[in-house]
Amino acid sequence: MLQSAPDALEFPASTANAAPADYWDMTRALSLVGDTLVKLDAQGHLQPALAVAWQSDASARHWQFTLRRGAKFHDGSAASPAAIAQILGALHPGWNVRASADPVSIDIDSETAMPSLLAELALPRNLLLKRSMKDNRIPIGTGPFLVAEWQPGKLLRLAASEESWAGRPFVDAVEIEFGKSLRDQAIALELNKADIIETAPEAANGSHGHNASSSSSLPVELLALVFSANSKAQDPRLREALALAIDRKPIQSVLLKGAGEPAASILPNWMTGYSAVFSSEANPQRARAVLADSRQPALKVSYGLSYDPRDPQAQLIAERIALNVREVGITVQVSLSGAEDIRLMRVVLPSPDPATSLAEAARQLGLPQTALPTPRGNSLDDLYQAERSLIDGYSVIPLFHLPVASEASARVHGWTPDRLGAWSEGGFSLADLWLADPEAGSR
Amino acid sequence: MHKLRSTARYNQPIPHMRARELTQKSSGLRLCWLTSFLLVTVFLPAPLCASSLGDTARQLAHKIAAAAGPGAVALEVTNRSSLDEKSVREVRSALEAALHVEGVYTAKSEQAMGTVEVVLSESLREYVWTAEIVIGSDEKKVAIVSLPRSPTGASFSPALPIVLKSTLLFDREQPMLDIALVEMPGGSRLLVLDDSTVAIYRRQGANPSGRWDLETSLPIAHARTFPRDLRGRLLLRRDHLFDAYLPGTLCRSSAAAPLTLTCTDSDDPWPLAPDDSVRAFYAASRNFFTGALSPGIGKVSNVPSFYSAAALPRTNYTLWTFAAVDGPLHLVDGITDQTIRGAKSKWGSDLAVVHSNCGTGTQLLVSESGDKERDGLRAFEIPDRDPVAVSAAVEFNGRIVALWPESSGTGAAAIVKRKDTGWYEAYRVSISCGN
Repeated sequence: MLQSAPDALEFPASTANAAPADYWDMTRALSLVGDTLVKLDAQGHLQPALAVAWQSDASARHWQFTLRRGAKFHDGSAASPAAIAQILGALHPGWNVRASADPVSIDIDSETAMPSLLAELALPRNLLLKRSMKDNRIPIGTGPFLVAEWQPGKLLRLAASEESWAGRPFVDAVEIEFGKSLRDQAIALELNKADIIETAPEAANGSHGHNASSSSSLPVELLALVFSANSKAQDPRLREALALAIDRKPIQSVLLKGAGEPAASILPNWMTGYSAVFSSEANPQRARAVLADSRQPALKVSYGLSYDPRDPQAQLIAERIALNVREVGITVQVSLSGAEDIRLMRVVLPSPDPATSLAEAARQLGLPQTALPTPRGNSLDDLYQAERSLIDGYSVIPLFHLPVASEASARVHGWTPDRLGAWSEGGFSLADLWLADPEAGSR
Repeated sequence: MHKLRSTARYNQPIPHMRARELTQKSSGLRLCWLTSFLLVTVFLPAPLCASSLGDTARQLAHKIAAAAGPGAVALEVTNRSSLDEKSVREVRSALEAALHVEGVYTAKSEQAMGTVEVVLSESLREYVWTAEIVIGSDEKKVAIVSLPRSPTGASFSPALPIVLKSTLLFDREQPMLDIALVEMPGGSRLLVLDDSTVAIYRRQGANPSGRWDLETSLPIAHARTFPRDLRGRLLLRRDHLFDAYLPGTLCRSSAAAPLTLTCTDSDDPWPLAPDDSVRAFYAASRNFFTGALSPGIGKVSNVPSFYSAAALPRTNYTLWTFAAVDGPLHLVDGITDQTIRGAKSKWGSDLAVVHSNCGTGTQLLVSESGDKERDGLRAFEIPDRDPVAVSAAVEFNGRIVALWPESSGTGAAAIVKRKDTGWYEAYRVSISCGN
């Protein structure tokens, strides 16, 4: 069961109005149907998927991928270089994607260097899917399951693909019910009407009386304050004071019920290891001193703070932040209407590759993407400088890094949700699980 | 890929491609030096050694000195990583010494021109050490250095009486279910079982590190769809070359040349021991044995469903060990079925028994699932009822997807799916006596 209720089996074209749940749910559904060329695990190691080998020239503008032999789409057509090139070319009009001279490879060329191409290709938005022209653009992939039925916003029924290149899934079918709140999902699990559900990260930390197993991913979401372009709070000193005033620990322990990590960096420590240099400690005394230097008459102005009403915790967190900053002399009005000066946003960090996630986070937050480092350079110094440059102007104030969580019933065997939250890390997808026979007790 | 390299158009292979190039040069069998390298890297534990910590500390000291300039600073070192206290002390000592060489001295804060706060942290990939440098009223400066983490986080372990030796026999892109090495007229042959064929490779030349050339490929005809997590077993026979067991399918080779393979739908039980003394029924649509034995072990004809089993000879009986599907290890002596839960906390689902001249003469090889990326094998003995580790773990760069004892009983075949390339590697694992 999943929270979102998508009208189409496609990633949202714009991230502006998409909630992280929309991203995760579509990732989880489409990853069962399609494959990417390559995969990245949590440690950033590349794994072959539909491509079994790859290489680039020194400039990283020319790439070649050797495709897996014998892979087929669910409609029976071959996952040939021409077919794959056509799909990738449509996803990335700026790239020149074509079948190579040899019969098993594709070439990808670009005018600009693409050092992070492999991490980009591993993102779920680059799943290689054909679209049915006659059947509501239903995706046709090479993955372990094929789409058997699609009721927009309600139900996706998947059937095991007998010819999946990775082998036939153990289960015959998967039914995904969309548009179910976390509470509805929990009840369905309790009543044995669902086998796998999403859950709040804090719930995953608790114990369960029904033998279900719950687990949390690594922190793969960022909760942050973002200043809009026409915000009244333009003075960086005012923004710095606001950042210093926020006491993250009580919010984490009470409102987030211990889930996640207080953060002052965009990227979590498991990706970079250097987040200690971004202090997330509250310092109201210094906030008042900084505010005294501000040119902006903070005391006379009220700043509007908005939040995503679909995020169940957002309103309480926003109100707590308003309380914190009021103590140092900044007035913030939490509201869904009126002028928006500050927005409380939750964004997805979609890749274990830190440079890719930094670029994606900057895009979702509406920040300028200047001089972002490349994974090929793989320099922590470059990465740190790029992240520092995004944060230094206080256009964004990171607050928390949050995991996503899920729960499986006791009859689900052989499955562990991956550490990146997508339910599809190598060897641990829904294709690898099996369900115990209720007649056979624990088996 | 050969064609690509000849064009010289692409000249910057990434690590994955380097791995592939190695395999292509040897066309399926890697060269002797690679095996030697692997043995060295496998048997030497790879924790962080003092020199790598010291080198990294010197790098950090150099960056701190460049930012701070000469003089006295108050140094604070905080450990937020998995480094132990001894390592942290070594890092601090190395850092102070290297700073001294650079003209930066540590002092109490009231006597210092500034502060340096070093945090020893880590990401999933590497140790990351940061230094925040504040000199007088200058803006804070940050220095960062990193050091790759040990892939396993393993530390040195005490000397153990038995050494596991793994020898890479063969690798290829396609999955392998089991292998068998056969000495035949005209040279060694390697039988490789997969879901559609039994391929027979012949070693070129007498050199043990010579390449394997495909001699023939015998197709496996089967009516039933195989399960996703397919397992299969090759057993060498006296009256004909081999039998191949697959879920719901039994294949038997001919006795004489030209070699043929006859496959039939079959639910016959699979032999658990080379002498066929105990057989077990395999669940045709699953990846485990049902638990029904034929013939049984003494009075026991049913055990819980299990993935693998091994027989440990005792003076008056045979103790059978079963890696059960529901988790614990089961010890069956023909009368009782004893469950050991704690022992399997790190154990994987694969067991194989190997006979040697070391220790009690029979060791149990057990797969260890440390994480999703690297599996290992360790030898155990069960002197009474509790397994005792008698070797260090031999680790592989990927997951062990199959482990079967050799028909001779003196070794085991381990099939590993490499993490980095996705290729499959077949190893022979044998035992040497340690000190």
